[in-house]
Amino acid sequence: MKKLAIILFLSLVANLMVAATDTTLDDAFSAYQNQDYQQALKLFLQIENEGFIDADLYYNIGNSYYRNGELGQAILYMKKSLKIDASHEKAKRGLEFLLNQTRNKQSLQADNLLLKFFNDFRDSISLNWLAIISLILLGLIILTIHIIIHRYANRERAVPYLFITVLIAILILVLTLSKIKYDQRYQVKEAVLLSETAIGYSGPSPDFTRVFTIHEGLILEIEQEQDNWSLVKLPNGIGGWITSDSLEKVTIR
Amino acid sequence: MTKKVFYVILFFCFTSLLLAEINFESYVDNTEIGLQDRLNLTLEISGSDAGKVAQPQLPRLDNFSNLGSSTSSSSSYSFTNGKAQSNITKKYIYTLRPRKTGDFIIPPLKLAYQGRTYTTNPIKIKVVEGTTAAAPPTSQRMQTNTRNDNTTLADNLFLKAVVSDKQVYQDQPITVEYILYSRYEISNLAFGEDSGYQGFWKETLFVPEQINFTTKTENGLRYNTMLMKKDLLFPRESGNLEIPSLQIKADIRTQARSFFDFGSSKTYTLESKPHTITVKSLPTAPENFSGAVGAFQLNSRISSSELKVGDSFTYTLEISGKGNLKNFTLPQLPAVNHLRFLDPETSTQLNADGVSGKRTIKYLVIAKEQGQIEIPPLSFTFFDPEKAAYITRKTANYTLAVAAGDMAYIPSSRAQMSVEMEGADIGFLAEISELKTAEIIYKSWLYWIAVILLLLSIPASFIYRKEQEKLSSNQDYYRTKQANKILKKYMKDATSYAKENKADFYTAAQSGLANFLADKLHIARGSTSDVLLSELEKQAISDELFAKVKELYAICNQARFMPGGFSDQQISQHHSLLKNVINDLSKIKFK
Repeated sequence: MKKLAIILFLSLVANLMVAATDTTLDDAFSAYQNQDYQQALKLFLQIENEGFIDADLYYNIGNSYYRNGELGQAILYMKKSLKIDASHEKAKRGLEFLLNQTRNKQSLQADNLLLKFFNDFRDSISLNWLAIISLILLGLIILTIHIIIHRYANRERAVPYLFITVLIAILILVLTLSKIKYDQRYQVKEAVLLSETAIGYSGPSPDFTRVFTIHEGLILEIEQEQDNWSLVKLPNGIGGWITSDSLEKVTIR
Repeated sequence: MTKKVFYVILFFCFTSLLLAEINFESYVDNTEIGLQDRLNLTLEISGSDAGKVAQPQLPRLDNFSNLGSSTSSSSSYSFTNGKAQSNITKKYIYTLRPRKTGDFIIPPLKLAYQGRTYTTNPIKIKVVEGTTAAAPPTSQRMQTNTRNDNTTLADNLFLKAVVSDKQVYQDQPITVEYILYSRYEISNLAFGEDSGYQGFWKETLFVPEQINFTTKTENGLRYNTMLMKKDLLFPRESGNLEIPSLQIKADIRTQARSFFDFGSSKTYTLESKPHTITVKSLPTAPENFSGAVGAFQLNSRISSSELKVGDSFTYTLEISGKGNLKNFTLPQLPAVNHLRFLDPETSTQLNADGVSGKRTIKYLVIAKEQGQIEIPPLSFTFFDPEKAAYITRKTANYTLAVAAGDMAYIPSSRAQMSVEMEGADIGFLAEISELKTAEIIYKSWLYWIAVILLLLSIPASFIYRKEQEKLSSNQDYYRTKQANKILKKYMKDATSYAKENKADFYTAAQSGLANFLADKLHIARGSTSDVLLSELEKQAISDELFAKVKELYAICNQARFMPGGFSDQQISQHHSLLKNVINDLSKIKFK
C-alpha cells in the first residue's frame, strides 16, 4: 500500500513537471508567433536548462537567436542540433542559410563528391540505429555459431563459415561507422566564433604577428589550447591563436 | 541592269500586260582619241522585246563622219520559278571619224518604243592631234614604256571607292563600296594590305567569292565592273575620320602580238582614293535615349486582350527602319502588377544593305490575377540624322480583361522556368511534439549486458554440446545421469507421501530405490531385490550402508504386506533413513 502511494506520488510529480515544460513550450511558440523573439528565446533556453537534449529544441533556440540578431549563437545551436541528429533537415537548411549571412565565406558542402556521398550516408543513419543493427548482427553471428556447434558437428561447414565471415565484416563496418559518429558527437574540436570580430595571432599573445581577422559565426577547428588562448584552424586552412572567450565549443552534455 | 530587266519581265508575267520594258544605252570605246583614230559608238538595246525594236536613228553629228555600222545580237535564257525568260541584246556599232580636234559631245540618243521614249546619257569626247594609240597593252610595251602605259592604265583600270554619305552623325551607318573598273582582261584578283578603319565599327556586307564582272557605262565608256567589297561603317567618334584606300592586286592578261606570242600576265597594284568623312557628334541626348541613330518606326501588338488567369499571351514589340539596328538598347518594359513577363525573345532581321530591317522583341506574358490590367505605353527615343533631332515614339497602351480561370498561375510549357527565390530567410520553428533527451544506446548498460550475454552463450552452448556428446556416446554415463533423475523424482514422491503419513511412501521408496540402484549398477531394471543386493555387495561400500539398505528393503517389504502397520512417527523415521541412505549412495562412485 505504502509502495503504491509513493509510486502514485512520484508519477504525479513527474506529470506535473512535464505539464509545466509543455506550457513553457507552448508559451515559447506563441511568443515566437507574435514575433516576441526575445521572450521565445528566453523560454526555449529555460527548457534547455531543464536538461533536455533535443535536436528540435536546439534548432528552435538557434532560430530564435538568429531572430534576435545573434548570428554566432544561432550557428552554434544549429551545429548542436545537427550533432544530435545529423539528418535534421531544418537545421541543415537553417545552418546553410546562416552561413551565407556571415561576413567570412564558409560552406557546408564537401568539395569532393565521394566525400559528400560518404557524409550523406553517415548522416542518414543515427547512432542508435547503428547500435541496434550491431546488436542484431552480433545476435546473428552468435546464432550461427550455435548452429555450427549443434547442427554442423559432423558436417561440411563451408556455408556457415562464409555466412559468419560476411556477418562479421558487416559488423566491423557498422562498428567503424558507429565510432566515427560517436566521435563526431562527442568530440569538442569544433567551435563557433561568438564575438563580433576576433584577431588571430601567430602565438598565444597579442605580441605575436597578427595573422587574420575573423568575424562572428565562423566555424573553427580547435587544435590546441593554452591558458586563455586557442589555436584554431579556419575553414580555408589558415591557423592562428585567438582568445578562448571569443568562441564557444560545439558540445552537448 | 539585267536585274532590272528581270524584274520587268516578272512584272509582265504577272500582269499579262503587253507593255514591254527595254533598256537603251550608248557608249564609246574611248573618250579621248586622236584625229587619225576611229571612234566606235555602240547603241545597245536589251530586254525581252529588244528584237522587236527598230534600229534607232543616229542623230546628225557635225564633228564626226559616219564610216558605217554593224549589228550584232545575242540572246540569253534564264529559268526562274519554272518559267523561261529570254533576254535579247542588240548592238548597233557605228564607226565614226573625228573631223577636227576639240571637245565634243555626242548628244543623248532617243528611242521610242510602244509609246515610251528611252534616252541615253550624253558622251563627252576629246579629240587631239595625231593618235592616242589607245591600243591594249602588249607585253613588250608594258616592259618598255611603263610611264606612258600608266597613264592609259589609270584610265582603263582603276578602283573606285563609293561612299554613301560624307557628312554623317555619330553612329549613323554609311556604306563604302569598292568597285573595280577595267577595260582589260583580268585573270586574277587579290586583296592587298588592309589598313583597317580607325574610329569606325565595321561590318562587311559583301566580298566576292569569284571574279564576276558586269558591264557598266561610265562617262560614255564601257567598262567591266566588279564590286570588290562592301563595308558598312558606324562612326564611333566625331570629327574628321578617314576611310583609307583599299589595295587590290590585279593580274592582267596581255594581248598576243604575233603568232608566237601567247601573251603573258602582269600584276598591277590598284589603290582607291582615300575619303574623308565628317562625323558630327550627336546633340545632347535626352535621358531615355536608346543609342539608336536613324529613322525608325515602333510597332506593338498583343496576341489577345481577353484571357483567363493563368493564360498567356504574346506582347510583340517591333522596331523597324534604317539605322544602327543592332547597336542600341531595347526599351524596357515596366513591371506591371498581376502580369508576369518572361524573358523576351529578340530577333533582328536585316536587309541585304545591312542598314534597314527590323528588330522584333517578343514577351510571353502570363496573367496572374483577374481584373482590368493596363499595360502602359513604352517609349523609344532615337536620333534622326535627316531631321537632326531626337524623336520619341510610343506604343499604344493596352487594357486586358482577365477573367477568373480554373487554372492556377503556371507558366506555359513553352517557356517553363524554375521558381525564383524572392527572398531568403531562416525557416520557421521546428514543431516539438515530445521533448526527449536523446539516449545513446551505446552508452546504456543494457546494451553491454546484452552483448556480454550473447558472448557468454557461446561457451555455454559449447559445454552443453560436449555434454550431449558424452551422453550419446556413453550409455552407462547416460544411465548414471538418469539414475540421479529417477532418484530425485521418487524421492520427491516419497517425501510428499511421508509428509502426509501415507503408506504409499513405502511403495515409492522401494521402486525408487530399486530403479536407482539398477541404473547405478548397470543392471536391468525390474531385477529382484536379491539380485540388486548381491550386486551392491560387490561394490566397494561400507558394511554399515549395506546394512541400512538391507534394512530399508526389509521395512519396505514389510509395509507392502502389512499396509497401515506403521505409525506416523515411524514413517517420518523411515523417511529420514531413506534420505540418509540415498545421500550416502549417491556419494559413492559405482563401477
